[in-house]
Amino acid sequence: MHKRYDAVIIGAGHNGLTLGAYLARSGLDVVVLERRHEEGGGLCTEELTRPGFLHNIHANYHTFVDLAPPIEDLELRKNGVVYVRPEVQMASIFEDNTALCIYTDLDATVESMSRFSPADAETFKRLYTEAHGYVDLLLGTLMFQPPMSIKELTGALGTFGIEDRSEFLGVKLRRQSINQFLDQHFEHPKIKAHLAFHGAVCGYANDVVGLAIGFPLLIGKIDNWNLCVGGSHRLAHALWRDLAHHGGTLITDAEVVSIVVEDGQATGVRLSDGEEIQATKLVASTVDVEQTFLRFLGKTTGASADGAGDSVKEDAVGGISTELIDRVESRIAHQDWTLFSVHLALSEPPYYEAAEFNPDVNNAWVVNLGYESLTEMNRDWQDIRAGKLPLPKPNAAVNSLFDTTDAPAGCYTGLLRQFAPFSLEQEGPGGWEIIGRQYARQCIQTWERFAPNLSSDKAVLDWVPYTPLEISQKMINMVQGDWMCGAIKLDNMLDQRPLPELGGYKTPIGRLYMAGSTQHPHGFITFGPAYNALSVIADDLGIKPWWRRI
Amino acid sequence: MPDIYTQPWYEAVKDTINQEVTKLKDIPDGKWVLAVEIVADGVSPYVGGGADGAANLTATGADERHFLIEISDGRCNWYKEVEGDYGDVELSYRFRGPATVFDEIAAGITDPIDAALKGAVKVRGDMRLLMRQAKHVKVLLEAYSKAVDTSWPKGKPPYA
Amino acid sequence: MPEVSYDASYDAIVVGAGHNGLCLAAYLARAGLSTAVIERRHEEGGGANTEEPVMAGFRHNMHAQYMEFFDIMPMIQDFHLDEIGLRTVMPEVQAGITFRDGRPPIVLHRPDLLDRTHASISRYSTADADTFVELKRLAINIEPLIALNLYNPPMPVPPEGQLAMLEGAFGHAGLGIGPHWLAKTPKALIDELFETPELRALMYRITVEWGFPVDQANTGGGFLTFVLWTCGNWKLAKGGTHSLAKAMTQACYQVGVDLIENTAVKEIVVRGERAVGVRTSDGKYIEAKKLVASNADIKQTLLDMVGQNHLSQLWVKRAKAFRYGPSHVLGTLAFCLHEAPNYLSARWDPDINNCFYTVVGFDGPDDMIRYIRDAYSGRLPEPAAGTWVNSLWDPSQAPPSKHSLTGWYFFPPASSLSAKDWQEVRNSYNERFLLKWEKFAPNMTRDNVIAMRLYTPDQMEHKNLMMEGDFSNGEFSVDQMGQNRPFPEASNYRTELEGLYLCGPSSHPGGGMHAACGYNAYKVIAQDIGLPSPLVSERGY
Repeated sequence: MHKRYDAVIIGAGHNGLTLGAYLARSGLDVVVLERRHEEGGGLCTEELTRPGFLHNIHANYHTFVDLAPPIEDLELRKNGVVYVRPEVQMASIFEDNTALCIYTDLDATVESMSRFSPADAETFKRLYTEAHGYVDLLLGTLMFQPPMSIKELTGALGTFGIEDRSEFLGVKLRRQSINQFLDQHFEHPKIKAHLAFHGAVCGYANDVVGLAIGFPLLIGKIDNWNLCVGGSHRLAHALWRDLAHHGGTLITDAEVVSIVVEDGQATGVRLSDGEEIQATKLVASTVDVEQTFLRFLGKTTGASADGAGDSVKEDAVGGISTELIDRVESRIAHQDWTLFSVHLALSEPPYYEAAEFNPDVNNAWVVNLGYESLTEMNRDWQDIRAGKLPLPKPNAAVNSLFDTTDAPAGCYTGLLRQFAPFSLEQEGPGGWEIIGRQYARQCIQTWERFAPNLSSDKAVLDWVPYTPLEISQKMINMVQGDWMCGAIKLDNMLDQRPLPELGGYKTPIGRLYMAGSTQHPHGFITFGPAYNALSVIADDLGIKPWWRRI
Repeated sequence: MPDIYTQPWYEAVKDTINQEVTKLKDIPDGKWVLAVEIVADGVSPYVGGGADGAANLTATGADERHFLIEISDGRCNWYKEVEGDYGDVELSYRFRGPATVFDEIAAGITDPIDAALKGAVKVRGDMRLLMRQAKHVKVLLEAYSKAVDTSWPKGKPPYA
Repeated sequence: MPEVSYDASYDAIVVGAGHNGLCLAAYLARAGLSTAVIERRHEEGGGANTEEPVMAGFRHNMHAQYMEFFDIMPMIQDFHLDEIGLRTVMPEVQAGITFRDGRPPIVLHRPDLLDRTHASISRYSTADADTFVELKRLAINIEPLIALNLYNPPMPVPPEGQLAMLEGAFGHAGLGIGPHWLAKTPKALIDELFETPELRALMYRITVEWGFPVDQANTGGGFLTFVLWTCGNWKLAKGGTHSLAKAMTQACYQVGVDLIENTAVKEIVVRGERAVGVRTSDGKYIEAKKLVASNADIKQTLLDMVGQNHLSQLWVKRAKAFRYGPSHVLGTLAFCLHEAPNYLSARWDPDINNCFYTVVGFDGPDDMIRYIRDAYSGRLPEPAAGTWVNSLWDPSQAPPSKHSLTGWYFFPPASSLSAKDWQEVRNSYNERFLLKWEKFAPNMTRDNVIAMRLYTPDQMEHKNLMMEGDFSNGEFSVDQMGQNRPFPEASNYRTELEGLYLCGPSSHPGGGMHAACGYNAYKVIAQDIGLPSPLVSERGY
């Protein structure tokens, strides 16, 4: 490692690597520092069960493929990424072994829905068609540029008369929950449940007021769920390759402990082994707000290192006001639910009883096992928020159906995900260490109920739970297991995310930027935070934005 | 009554914009160059020869028509058709779509905002600015779509 | 010849992204060849891998543990790997052995701290301490010879030459070096040099780990040179062994190598007598305009990928006769701990608790010999291990205040046990070891273990195609070493097919994190097709 770089980026998740690659392509000398021994953050693929079974421990669904500019700008396909878009994207299987499928072919989806409700199927067709039309425009407006305020946005939508032109999109959605949206437009409980389930997998809980605002956008790309062949980590390798090929450097096992600030400007970072790296142009943090402001700046910077505990806060160190430190401590909001996973090594894929109703469920990628109504989902959200474990209704994905490289020949890699609390009512987060295996078994049993072939001894070779506690331990930026890196709620969106004073990718410290999933738009493999921070950095540094293809 | 996509027609659009702009309260500063790219679709007779010309679409550029518009401090400086690419011109926005859609917009039978919203016309450029200047953008669009009395020598949309 | 269409085309294709393959690819691409590395797994580095196989935040090196070649490895210098991610720690306290009855441990320190090593051995025998320290001092001086040996295609050294070398290096130590020394087994030599049973036990273990079976005749001289040189010369790669692979990969990326992962090479395509490309598991044909180099072992390369019909009878026979294991067949234990082991022997010398490498579970040399002979004869030995608590020296390898312990068991080759038996070993062997361990270190109770896992030879086979779980991709025996590796006709990295080269550890000098197989293959290829020599004058190799 050199002692000095133009740009020092903290965190080698997909945002850190993306920002690094763009800056390296812009001619800057870039280093990306990663605390873990692996790059990629949520793009994490490991042989958790057995050799040859590639489990995506975190990110599994890539829904911004060909919508996010970096995929083309950084030539990620040339750098080794291959995507598959399964024809049967999602399915819901219900207790009566009927099933609903979402296809890449709209007509097939409409047909599947019309078996439940022809009226809903027609509504869905109109909704999808309308929403799909404006996905492009809205992504460009909302996700891949620094955010506007909700007020500006509402004003513009009013001027353009969107409310009158659109059946589904409207300013009023910001006062509605997804439930309300669904109740207003749809009639069949199972169709509503499926659409709400889909939103939840995207991180949007259906009972939270305000989240209807993003829902049409989610529907507009409901058929754009892509699988990264060979595991999601392949995307991390491709980003890294682009970074390195353009002269940037990734250093793993480089844990930043503080950001060096001189005269209100970030001038470098210090690592846990004492090494100091200078940043002549910028420091960008792609990790959580708490680490960035409380650990890297709040507690360790400043002239007197001997002041311990609370007294440090009074010093208002490194140009950060005590107000900001207080607000970071008290106001940063995390998702109040997270995911419990079971990773499985299988010798056969699931054969669902519901295949009698619709054979395509056996070829579906993301399968909702049992949510039948909004009421059921609402009840589980309430339980989860109270720290209670819901009766498992996991969703299942067998990537090997679409990517034979992710398991040994003739075998299958399986994933069950269950919406779950981070902290358990009685035992707190530590309770997961006790309950994890048992809950995993329950999740598997639910799967077996819908796909009885899995209950044979030889079908499930091995399984390993991955608990919310482990999320927070492995990816410490996913505070409280929050894989969205900040709550998805109306007052934590756009320029308000993660706090109004930190909403524009800049910070009160000069040359210190925030470029991770804490920022607008949010977590998930969106590339948005990095891409938008890049715009801000480019403006500040006078970098000609070669990537803006108008 | 200027013919569609002719110099007098551009001039008429330009004049309309400049008249309407004066009515706005906040006129945005700065210079924007907009490109309008009208792509032959085998229907519109004004680009690529229409239904009969569909088979003749070649690399000569006849399958697309490109227009540039310069807006400065809210006013339209010029409006012209260009051949091929734009050379050194730095675009602020690009509007691209099938000829029939653009024809229908010019004829006032398709709403330009609808066309953009529903993806019929693709918009590229700084969306934030576009939203912030919504009122001004609306003037431009209305000038294009409604204000000019246009004649249609090869037939007027909607096409059969 | 009919025109063949291909899906991609490169000057050079390297089969396998183990560290040797990465090394070769980096040199080839830097010399201007368009180069692809095709890797079956989703991760680069082969045996240079570090994972979190038990619990989040606890890292374990699944294969290679310690690094003794970093100071002499050409690629580190030539590609400035230290600037692109390779960082090392050289623990002061290098290796030790500890005992159940709490008698003094033997602790070896870094070469610059030999007085501390002397003090440790002196608890048992001043004479042995004198001998060991003197020999170690002399062994440090032969580093240039070690480097020459490793980083060149194998050179014939007649017995007189070997003897002269030993004489030159160790002659004045008064050991009475004579021709019979070359014929000795390492065990016989160790027994002749040292009287202390505890020291002998430690030396046996280190010798076997280097790759010399202790009962193998004609390798005794190797103990004096390689084993004594390596002893206490170990670094750990900060962040885990995988950081070496990462730095090498980054070097490859910088010079434009394409790394194609999750893709197995099914066939090395031969036209006439020339390798012209590969066919991959996803059905693609990738052209190699100049060469194909294989990091896979010799059997896989020739018999599985090339096919017998393209080979002479002799080469088929030779490849079939190549043997895996029992040397270097290992099981990797991975423990997540609240506390690092606190050994009874530490009351004599607390350094035993801070050793980089600690041998535990043996009461003396007889135990050690029985253990090795059991494993070599296809039997599961009584549990005992060599262990590393890397988090003591690199805190990043475990969560704050916790410890990550990795170790090696010597195991019989994978085929010695059924899949079911190996499953049973995975379920119970660590527990058995723990029961014994607690006697050596009373805090090593079940409560101190947050979680644990065992990685067995059959799994290594599946994971990395290290057949039989043999870390070296081929037995280390006199007939498979040096010019005999993998067999005499193939020992210079060339094959009988034009354009097909070998760059993996089934070639000289074998397994280990030295990248010498890849480096030497580059030297040979450079000569054959006219690429720049990697030789740096001051380095000399």
